[in-house]
Amino acid sequence: MREPSTTRCDMADIHSFESFAALDGEGIRYAVFFTGCPLRCAYCHNPDTWFRSGNEMTAEEVFNKIRRFKPYFRNGGGVTFSGGEPLLNSVFINEMFDLLKNEDIGYCIDTSGSVELTDGVKRAVDNADMIILDIKFYDAGKYKLYTGGDIEKPLALGRYCTEKGKRLVLRTVIAPGINDTNEDVEKYAGYVSENGLKFEKYELLAFHTMGFFKYDNLKIRNPLAGTPALEAEKLDELQKHLNETLKVKEG
Amino acid sequence: MNDNRIAWRSFNKGVWCDDINVSNFIKMNYTAYNGDSSFLEGPTERTKKEMERVHELLIAENEKGGVLNVDTSKVITILSHPAGYVVDKDTDIIVGLQTDEPLKRGVSPFAGIRSSVKACNAYGYEMSDKIKDEFTYRTTHNTGVFRAYTETMKKARHAGILTGLPDAYARGRIIGDYRRIALYGMDFLIEKKKYDKDKLGEKEFLDDETIHLLEDLAKQIEFMYQLKELALLYGYDISKPAANAFEAIQWLYFGYLGAVKEQNGAANSIGRIAEFMDIYIERDIKEDTLTEQKAQELIDDLVIKLRLVRHLRTPEYNDLFAGDPVWVTLALAGVTNEGKHMVSKTSYRVLNTLYNLGSSAEPNITVLWSERLPENFKKFCAKVSIDTDSIQYENDDLMRRMYGDDYAIACCVSAMKMGKQMQFFGARCNLAKILLMTLNGGKDEIAGDQIAPEGVVFGDEVLDFDKVYTEYKNYLKWLAKLYVNTMNIIHYMHDKYAYERLMMSLHDTDVERLMAFGVSGFSVAVDSLSAIKYAKVYPVRDERGLITDFEIKGNFPKYGNDDDRVDLIGKDLIEYFYRELCKTPAYRGAKHTLSILTITSNVMYGRKTGSTPDGRKAGEPFAPGANPMHGRDAEGALASLNSVAKLDYACCRDGISNTFSITPDALGKSEDDRIEHLVAMLDGYFLQDAHHLNVNVLNREKLVAAMNDPTLYPSLTIRVSGYAVNFNKLTRDKQEEVIARTFHHAM
Repeated sequence: MREPSTTRCDMADIHSFESFAALDGEGIRYAVFFTGCPLRCAYCHNPDTWFRSGNEMTAEEVFNKIRRFKPYFRNGGGVTFSGGEPLLNSVFINEMFDLLKNEDIGYCIDTSGSVELTDGVKRAVDNADMIILDIKFYDAGKYKLYTGGDIEKPLALGRYCTEKGKRLVLRTVIAPGINDTNEDVEKYAGYVSENGLKFEKYELLAFHTMGFFKYDNLKIRNPLAGTPALEAEKLDELQKHLNETLKVKEG
Repeated sequence: MNDNRIAWRSFNKGVWCDDINVSNFIKMNYTAYNGDSSFLEGPTERTKKEMERVHELLIAENEKGGVLNVDTSKVITILSHPAGYVVDKDTDIIVGLQTDEPLKRGVSPFAGIRSSVKACNAYGYEMSDKIKDEFTYRTTHNTGVFRAYTETMKKARHAGILTGLPDAYARGRIIGDYRRIALYGMDFLIEKKKYDKDKLGEKEFLDDETIHLLEDLAKQIEFMYQLKELALLYGYDISKPAANAFEAIQWLYFGYLGAVKEQNGAANSIGRIAEFMDIYIERDIKEDTLTEQKAQELIDDLVIKLRLVRHLRTPEYNDLFAGDPVWVTLALAGVTNEGKHMVSKTSYRVLNTLYNLGSSAEPNITVLWSERLPENFKKFCAKVSIDTDSIQYENDDLMRRMYGDDYAIACCVSAMKMGKQMQFFGARCNLAKILLMTLNGGKDEIAGDQIAPEGVVFGDEVLDFDKVYTEYKNYLKWLAKLYVNTMNIIHYMHDKYAYERLMMSLHDTDVERLMAFGVSGFSVAVDSLSAIKYAKVYPVRDERGLITDFEIKGNFPKYGNDDDRVDLIGKDLIEYFYRELCKTPAYRGAKHTLSILTITSNVMYGRKTGSTPDGRKAGEPFAPGANPMHGRDAEGALASLNSVAKLDYACCRDGISNTFSITPDALGKSEDDRIEHLVAMLDGYFLQDAHHLNVNVLNREKLVAAMNDPTLYPSLTIRVSGYAVNFNKLTRDKQEEVIARTFHHAM
């Protein structure tokens, strides 16, 4: 298994497509999952996107698939670039933007933010309808420990979105025993507000075990193999606490 | 028509006053409603009381293995039984039962005496000697058909290439325009038929068809008089037009009741009645003689009666059409030819019965969807779908082009103009099995018999697409001719021995006839052709030298992923087959139509079909209708819909059925999101000229739980191939097949 590096920059290595992704962004979304990710999150439920699929496609080829779904994109629907890390493919996304623009189809980016803020990335962000940004942890040590990445990068992206007035949705995966206490939630709230991020919504997502089989299939170690899924009631409770904490901070 | 002055008071007059024209009446008088559902009322105490009785009856029926009671003493006809009530004469508002007791089934042997005997025996009853004697010297439809069938027809039927044909049961799928009774009264309709008959008899030369029609008209008139008597049994005189909402609904229901007493056809649909009833309800409300609560109560009570319609069926019949369906299909909404939507408050009231009375398979509520329906109504429909899984959607913008704005749906997906068109129902042929027969030079891959003419023998080398497709088309050509002629025999005999006298009396005399052919195994045939074209498929032979299995090397595009490489094979296949069908003339000048619909018979057809080149193993179920094969749609729900949407309705005018199941989580996070997404999905699908969609929003886990313990969800209703069923009424293999179907779920 090789890691991505050799893809031509006008092409992207695609993991898969989901024509009905109603949860990531507004309205009905057509999701494009890229392969390749700079992070190795302990709780990743798509480890199969870490590696190349060999399915390399040009922006035009992917666009030809997407345009077929235009009839469903009423009420703010459109494309969601996800992955993997979609912003590793900013050249591709920017090329895609020109094609989508002619059809009046917008896109969202669902990103970890763990990329350099190059001009290409900035352009991809500027043209997006919305950025969905993962706030994986609230301190650099834990961020490094659980993802292998540098916490400054997503923060820089979040600040860039705030500066540009870009619609921003924050997300955090909550895993039992890792970040599932009220104190954790308060720290997340503190982190995003102290850093001045302006966002529309901050959603907590439950860690689930439905991606476990992928680790087995890929024959790689699942660092959270013994961790149970987060219960829905617990998630609701934490989300409520987060909303209240944020309200107090805003107030 | 002096009496009409009272009955038609305050209606806008038009051409409908001088001649039968219900469509014109509706368009001149209905009130379009753009508001939301907040005006709706819950069930009255009376309705609750009646529903308690209904629940008791349904539980008792279930405990007795699905049939509560059978009256084997006499043949059921319009006037065979005295009046019957659900609770009693005073509690029931809309009155009339098929027999003297609710859920007691009648014996109707006109389509076939043998299957009636079998049906009685299957539930532990014995047909009375009286009925047997009566039918000793009487030819039934079934006997007539088998006298005329050729050896080839019998073989094709036996092998399962032509299957489920209405040659041993009544054909159904005819919708009487029951609204006519309410609007005009029976006397006017009888006069009109007598006039037509006299006029017809004046022709210079009375040819076969004219004499046939003269006899038809005489039969119709006889049964119109009987219907008047049926109403009198319940204390109502339907000679004259209905003068208020109650009468309109009751008159209309008497027509339907007479029809399901006379006939036990495979589908007894009630037509497009909601907006018609609304006109009377709105008038009464304006005149202050009806409240919203009472209006809802009327609709609730009509729907209760429709939920209790039953026919006596054989186990073989249940194998084709599982869940004891009657297909009391009730179509509503849609748009007029002038572009005005036809949503009325009663469109809402009918949907509201699913809340007031609980979800249910019957009536089979069918929303005629148009981009132009008001947003409020679209959202309410989506909400009802999400809450009850009990309604289906069909594309009005598509059907209106061919059927105008006063058509209804029979059975699942069969459109026909109300009172102006009827259908000769023709079940379906097995496209997957014909492909296997092609590869085996006309032999049945299971029994080994030579069914079709001998053809090219395929060797052991990799199958060549062009060669296979050319040969396949030759066999389809042979099949098309055989199929049309088989249908011609069936419907000649049905007209002769089991003619639908009452239903046809509620049609125009010069009715237009459609002959509805069908295919099953569509996605299996298409994926098999794709495998042969894009992968390498090697035949595997058994000891008889027949090709009974395949070795598939490599990948191939699969139908259901919005991939033209395979989707266009399917499109071409269907268009070719339809053209071939049209080459053989149909009985009584009928127009050929075609459906891709299996109902629940996809399980049975799969059982009769060997392993196929797409990797499906012998005996495994097909996908239902035009659905992609289970689990092969890898790019999500909409890609799957887009593949189906490519099929051309112009050559599948009898419907393209698609059943769609999604988990609530995948549809959206909040109820509002789910509603909005479902509306956007329906709009997007139908904008592409797709035809039909069944929608189920439920968890697979819930179905597994219901399968293992039916008492958990006693009224769990789900949509399968074009209709709704109570999940617990399905046999285990059909339940498993439903569960195996692709559920689109959140990642």
